[in-house]
Amino acid sequence: MTERIRALMHFQWERLHHAARIALPEDLELTYRDRSLPDTLRTALRLKQALEMETPYLFDNEIIAFTRTVPNLPRIFDDAEWAAITEGHFIHELGNVSNLSPDYASVISVGLLAWREKLGEGELHRAMRISIDAVLKLTARYAAAARAKGDEALAEVLDRVPALPPRTFREALQSLRILHYAMWCEGDYHNTMGRFDQTMIPYLRADLEAGRETEESAFELLEAFFLACNRDSDLYPGMQQGDNGQSIVLGGMLPDGTDGFNLLSKWCLKASAELRLIDPKINLRVNKDTPLEVYELGTQLTKLGLGFPQYENDDVAIPGLEALGYDTEDARNYAMAACWEFIIPGRAMDIVNIGALPFANIVDRVLREHLTACRSLEEVKALVREAIFADVRKTLAERRNLYVIPSPYLSLFFDGCLESGRDISLGCKYNNWGLHGTGVAPAADMLAAVDQEVFHGDTAPEALLRAMADNFVGHDALRDQLKYHCPKAGNDDDRVDGLVGWLLDTFADAVEGLHNERGGIIRAGTGSAMFYIFHANELGATADGREAGVPLPANYAPSLNIRLNGPVSLIKSFSKPDLRRTINGGPLTIEFSDSVFSQEESITKVAQLVRLFVQRGGHQLQLNTVNRERMLDAQKHPENYRNLIVRVWGWSGYFVELDKCYQDHIIRRAELLV
Amino acid sequence: MSNASPLQPKGQAATAPHESCGFQRGLAAPAQARNGATAVGIVFDIKEFAVFDGPGIRTTVFMKGCPLRCQWCHNPEGLSPKPQLMVSTAACVHCGACERACPLGAEVPTGGCWQPKGCTACGACVPACRGGFRKIAGTAWTAEDLAARLNKDADVFRATGGGVTFSGGEPLLQWDFVSGVLDRLAGVHTAVETSGFTTDAVFAQVMEKLDLVMMDWKVSDPEAHRRYTGVDQAPIRRHARMLAAGDTPFILRMPIIPGVNDEREHFETVAELVKGAKSLVRVDVLPYQRAAGAKYDMVGRTYAPEFDEAAAPKYFLDVFEREGIPCQVFR
Ligand code: SF4
Ligand code: SF4
Repeated sequence: MTERIRALMHFQWERLHHAARIALPEDLELTYRDRSLPDTLRTALRLKQALEMETPYLFDNEIIAFTRTVPNLPRIFDDAEWAAITEGHFIHELGNVSNLSPDYASVISVGLLAWREKLGEGELHRAMRISIDAVLKLTARYAAAARAKGDEALAEVLDRVPALPPRTFREALQSLRILHYAMWCEGDYHNTMGRFDQTMIPYLRADLEAGRETEESAFELLEAFFLACNRDSDLYPGMQQGDNGQSIVLGGMLPDGTDGFNLLSKWCLKASAELRLIDPKINLRVNKDTPLEVYELGTQLTKLGLGFPQYENDDVAIPGLEALGYDTEDARNYAMAACWEFIIPGRAMDIVNIGALPFANIVDRVLREHLTACRSLEEVKALVREAIFADVRKTLAERRNLYVIPSPYLSLFFDGCLESGRDISLGCKYNNWGLHGTGVAPAADMLAAVDQEVFHGDTAPEALLRAMADNFVGHDALRDQLKYHCPKAGNDDDRVDGLVGWLLDTFADAVEGLHNERGGIIRAGTGSAMFYIFHANELGATADGREAGVPLPANYAPSLNIRLNGPVSLIKSFSKPDLRRTINGGPLTIEFSDSVFSQEESITKVAQLVRLFVQRGGHQLQLNTVNRERMLDAQKHPENYRNLIVRVWGWSGYFVELDKCYQDHIIRRAELLV
Repeated sequence: MSNASPLQPKGQAATAPHESCGFQRGLAAPAQARNGATAVGIVFDIKEFAVFDGPGIRTTVFMKGCPLRCQWCHNPEGLSPKPQLMVSTAACVHCGACERACPLGAEVPTGGCWQPKGCTACGACVPACRGGFRKIAGTAWTAEDLAARLNKDADVFRATGGGVTFSGGEPLLQWDFVSGVLDRLAGVHTAVETSGFTTDAVFAQVMEKLDLVMMDWKVSDPEAHRRYTGVDQAPIRRHARMLAAGDTPFILRMPIIPGVNDEREHFETVAELVKGAKSLVRVDVLPYQRAAGAKYDMVGRTYAPEFDEAAAPKYFLDVFEREGIPCQVFR
């Protein structure tokens, strides 16, 4: 890390730039809230106003400029208008364009002015022109501010981009920073920066070849860009701070079929490890031939407890997307929308999280209503299948007449919007919708438990249902049997892993052939987002021995509060299903104590474990290194952390089983780790 | 040294001689058959992805029972060879459900988290605890079943140069059983973590059968050794010399306990023991961590070390550096 980066980082860390933030003036005139103005123009005029209100703010020794100073954005509709719209439409999340992957690369490479020249007089084109001009005006003010500060180098960069094609790596980075910054100011959110290494590598290579930058100076530029991504991240909408979708994708197959992991992919992993910041979040695309060294670089990040990289397996994702109807070159070019949904840059207006199938709730309901009448697991499965089909159709029926707030500026980054004059909010080449699938592991555990204890054991169905109704109070032996002596997904036990595969397949069958109102298809997935919380709250005690109130696992993960054999069994279990058919997204998550990493060779071992998952056909994997905060929470809620393993001395143990004084000791030790 | 044929390749059944162990401290060893085929072993844990127990991805099997009584032992449930009750006293909410489920009844009150004297490890109280805070540590396995459980992941072990490690307790206390499991493993790397406290004949077999031996060298002074570990040092010293002279890859592990063995002479003794040993992988230095006593409460024992737990253990790596002995510190 250079001195200059260290200084910028300190400045940012101390939040000195927050002092420049100003609230929206009370008397701000919202001229665009004019009933005669169409929504597309309103969005453009609001962007114009937002950018005009910005005051250029430069850090000392600035490298990559643009910092938000006006955090808030008024809505383009007044309350009455918005009420009328929501009355007649299905509104997804906040209503804005979100969770997409804009094709920044194409715009950067020719410059905004070239785009502007193509604009005519239609409504969208007018809105696009207003947006482009607003962005360029603020850029000009930034250039002037840089000049006034005596920073001619920065001023020259800002004179050039994003209006014109970048001549250097620095200009390309600055161009991306501005374009992405304006996206937030348009009111869009959770949109990713996509295949960053592919976008930027031509500029980096040219600089290195021409000797304009040394490796060190170019690396400094990259770190400065990463730093800039963290300046305003507290302002972005999200469930939790940091949940802002500002991610990049590294490596992976290129549209022409070659492998895209390049020098910059490697640099990004290194820069992220050096800076240790939450943005940009990194997705690493891998395949069965990815060398161990790449996983090792990724694991260095995991060790820091950042929660990324998240791995995506090309061998599963690409054929999966092709089977859903994505063209081969598009499938090969996938990026990640927000958290973990597969999305095609510049070509998809997919809504990847339009709903969720609650596996656990469905199986639970079938058991409660029909168990006494069923004589075999096959009969139960037939009813579950029916219920899954019905739930998917019901979800779809509830999502009619979608309205998305237009985004003329963001439309610049999507294929065909400019040509057709159709805003991205209305659709693009792909208009597919994705459904999450929550609680698949507990659902399979329930089926396996019923099969063993009821259909092949001596538990009467009535006794099981009674025990569930009583939340197992007074039924300790049965609860213990269900919870600890029945097959559990995650323990490499074919009896239950087969049921996970069957449930996922059934989900894929249920969405096959369905279309949404935009003509797109429905994608089945293994993610949960926040849905798993809602779904858990609706559940009482369940047939897998889970008591009411115990949370469901997030995403594609084993039940909580069960005994797991360990990471090897877990990976084997969760790579068994054919995940190509449920490729909407949703990772398996594995947690490690940071103490696992106390020896350097652990990096290789964890990397080998990740590779194992990929080579066995897993689709997506995320690793957490458990830190102090989680251990503190585990002290308060031991029941939620039964499988939290910490290394104590020459041995590892379950954290919740340790005496408080020793827990405290380990927490203290964690505090000492950087 | 060994009574097995030197021509016999590793991984094949060696004939286990009948040894009288002589250090059984009244422990009832599990039933053992001549070639381990029908032997039952008592295992108190099986841990996947044990990253500190040898190369590659591996699974460690913890064998129950140990003849030593090291004051700093961090696995007290590994001491007794029999299955026993363990209670997560830290998590227990004192609801009393376990006490009501216990056939011993209220005659032997222990209060708190119900760990009655005379507990038979019958397990009746385990399901009664809603939090799952009780378990019976120690499960009987046949060699066939355990080998099958481990072989399930043989592909992973082979792909990563990993395998299986036997630890404990003292795994050599159940050597016939361990040996029977080893005979059934499907060509994976094997390792053992041992105190080295066994007969010369067993140790020779261990060196012949395993791909890596990790042996502790705890205390250099024989008198202090007896005081802090409860056993005679002589066989351990002989086995360290066997390792140094043999060709089985080995790691010598040094738990560094403040005030017990954190002295230069101790490091010099180790250097002297392993100097020139061509099969030495490295020396592991394991400085004492205060959490060693964490599990005593769970098995109803008291952790009462005679050394100062709070003192920072000292170590003298320069001794190894000077001799060119590779070493690794586990902090
Ligand atoms: S049943 Fe469990 S929580 Fe209740 S007193 Fe016994 S050990 Fe503690
Ligand atoms: S295991 Fe021990 S404490 Fe539990 S019920 Fe049996 S005798 Fe009682």
